[in-house]
Amino acid sequence: METLRQVLSPDFLLRNSVYTSVLIGFACPLVGMFLVLRRLVFMGVALPQISSTGVAVALSVPLWLGIMQPEHAAHSEHLLAFVGSTAFSLAAILVLAFLDRRRRGLPEGRLGSAYVVAAALSILLLSKNRYAEVGWLDLMKGEVITIDNVDLILTAAALAVVVIALALFHRELLLVSFDRAMAITLGKDVVTWDVLLYVLIGLTVSMAVLSVGPLIAFGFLLVPPLTAHLFAANMRQFTIFASVLGGIASFVGFCIAYRFDLPVGPAEVVLLGLIYAAAFGLRKLVRRKAR
Amino acid sequence: MNDPFIRLDDLAIGYQGQPVLSALSLTVVRGSFTAILGANGSGKSTLLKTILGLIPPIGGHIHLPANPPAVFGYVPQATDFDPLYLLTGRDVALMGVYGRVKLGRPIPPRERAFVTECLRATGAEEFARQQFAELSGGQKQRILIARALATRPDALVLDEPTAGVDAAATQALLAFISQLHEERKLTILLVTHDLPLVRQHAQQVIWLHQGQVLTGTVANVLTPERMAEIFDIEIG
Repeated sequence: METLRQVLSPDFLLRNSVYTSVLIGFACPLVGMFLVLRRLVFMGVALPQISSTGVAVALSVPLWLGIMQPEHAAHSEHLLAFVGSTAFSLAAILVLAFLDRRRRGLPEGRLGSAYVVAAALSILLLSKNRYAEVGWLDLMKGEVITIDNVDLILTAAALAVVVIALALFHRELLLVSFDRAMAITLGKDVVTWDVLLYVLIGLTVSMAVLSVGPLIAFGFLLVPPLTAHLFAANMRQFTIFASVLGGIASFVGFCIAYRFDLPVGPAEVVLLGLIYAAAFGLRKLVRRKAR
Repeated sequence: MNDPFIRLDDLAIGYQGQPVLSALSLTVVRGSFTAILGANGSGKSTLLKTILGLIPPIGGHIHLPANPPAVFGYVPQATDFDPLYLLTGRDVALMGVYGRVKLGRPIPPRERAFVTECLRATGAEEFARQQFAELSGGQKQRILIARALATRPDALVLDEPTAGVDAAATQALLAFISQLHEERKLTILLVTHDLPLVRQHAQQVIWLHQGQVLTGTVANVLTPERMAEIFDIEIG
């Protein structure tokens, strides 16, 4: 109770981090459910990693080129990271989705290769940039960093755009995902709808990676939808259960991490994993009793 | 009466520039019941998908009514759908009206009522509230036909609707499609392997065989001599 009181206090130092984490917890499952439905789960793993490579590139290249001096980098660090993360996320998801649509090569092979090359590239880049390495490693470990009001507002605004777009165009995005042929015969521009969905996924992933790191990002993209799918009876329930589970797990995970002085990201993802395992077991039990 | 609905003019169809069929010229008359027959890999589904605009033609032209544009009610194979989607039969049928609903707006009550009518017409109303993925093959086909009818189509285009459906349900399904054809004067384009059903219900046949196309009425195409030629057998 004491932890809860502290975390909810308006004077709490990491107040903005809690808000950001919860926002990410609510928003990520909303796009993650499309990755699950389209059977692009590996994309949910590779994309945050590629996005964090974008952060590494954005933080490293200007210093190498001598455009920016390390002592001045702090001012523009967040903007650079945002640009790098978003550009890499969007480029990766569009290229990977295009190749998937063209059925070129083995999908798992492409995503696995993208993941491992992105991770290795990040390490290589940062090994030559001590300044960027510290911040990036915090991001990788899921350490909560202090988030200022401007960053919180930017994150909330970007996620609001994603949620509003998903709410407005849910019908079309679902139709194009479920039955592409039907969508074409109804005169829908399936490529445009695919691109919109991928842009929304890319934007959410990049905001999540910047705020909470790739580990939590892919945890929240995939585990809440997978858990919600066990119990939901229709798409509306699937959407609501996944988003609410993500938001609540994010807040509870933060409180647990704060109470026991643990890194926030891993604490939240392990909590999600435990909930998923419990839900899986519970469903089996319910089904066995129903027989 | 012989108003052409679909006219194929020197059409070449296939995938990634590799033709499956070429020099295809034929006409499908408005209000006709046409069966597309052929062995596996003969190009039946490719032809259907090309007519629907799902696959671009490699060459030639497809002439369709432009003013107003032709509306196709497409009925894919029931096995084409991923069971991960938590959609009821009614949710799937409602997709038929998506083409008429404005972006970001809810589906108007009159369109919902129309979908209910379509479900009733196909005998799918009683199981429409069940999960689509959990329905039998025949039930799924009825939902998919209801969805196609909900598009207010000029033509129903069915891709092997009886695949994976038992014999009794197959008979019932084809009888129902015939009834729709007669009552609503719909043009029917049906891909199938089932010769007895074609004899019973279709008027026109397009038979794809080793890159050749035979077209004509059922009586003209499905003669014992033609069949013997196609199946390479001798008539006793």
